[in-house]
Amino acid sequence: MEQSLAKIVFYAYTAVIVVGAVMAVTERGLVRSLVGLIATMFGVAGLYLLMAAPFMAFMQILIYIGGVSVLIFFSIMLTHAAPTGDEAKRRPLRKRINAIFAMLVPAAVLSVGIVKHGTSGFEKPEAVSLPDLGLGLMGPYLLAFELISVVLFVAMAGAVMLAWRQWGRK
Amino acid sequence: MSSLQLYQLVALVLLCVGLYGFIWRRSLVGMLICLELMLNGAGLSIVAASQHTSADAVLGQLGALLVMGLAAAEATLVLAIVLVVTRRFKTSESIRVSELKG
Repeated sequence: MEQSLAKIVFYAYTAVIVVGAVMAVTERGLVRSLVGLIATMFGVAGLYLLMAAPFMAFMQILIYIGGVSVLIFFSIMLTHAAPTGDEAKRRPLRKRINAIFAMLVPAAVLSVGIVKHGTSGFEKPEAVSLPDLGLGLMGPYLLAFELISVVLFVAMAGAVMLAWRQWGRK
Repeated sequence: MSSLQLYQLVALVLLCVGLYGFIWRRSLVGMLICLELMLNGAGLSIVAASQHTSADAVLGQLGALLVMGLAAAEATLVLAIVLVVTRRFKTSESIRVSELKG
């Protein structure tokens, strides 16, 4: 009973993810495309909950939906992207063929790898307690934790420097 | 099919749709959206691999957390770069920005 319920929820989240991803790629207007991306992010957060990682689901909603999508929305506003603008123009046939080829090659190789040679693993994942995650961050993975904070600081400082209006004007 | 394989297939779908869009999109912001799709697939794949096998689950979750941090840093930088490009070229279309002068 529990397993079949989990299957139903899994397929529901997968449907949200696939529809959102297709919408994010094919929509003409960038704002609609961003809405598709946000739907995909919610679906991925649901899958994190389903695989017993509630902290990751929380972080997905907090960082991706709360942070990154707002940043993308700002860049849509700052470039004055209209639905009738760049994205609505026709593309050459060669570009479509390139895009389909870029999609099919990894799809063919990796799906054969997953379906034929994938390991089965457990069916019921165990949740990791939050104190264990914190101890991991403060113990064996301390260097990665500090490095990511340096990377974030450099990215923010670099963004401010790049976008500074007076830069290079004199 | 086991649930690990199903999760990996969903991650693969995200990667492939993101790659398609990355080539298909004309504007830099559209390419950024497709990049975020691919990074979401990567995080999903990492967490699924660590939760459903005997691998260290703490390592998997923290690795996916680092991917999220890098995605946030990358989105910040791309926002600034897109801003500079639009101010300079009056467009954010990638094909026109990549033309050489001369």
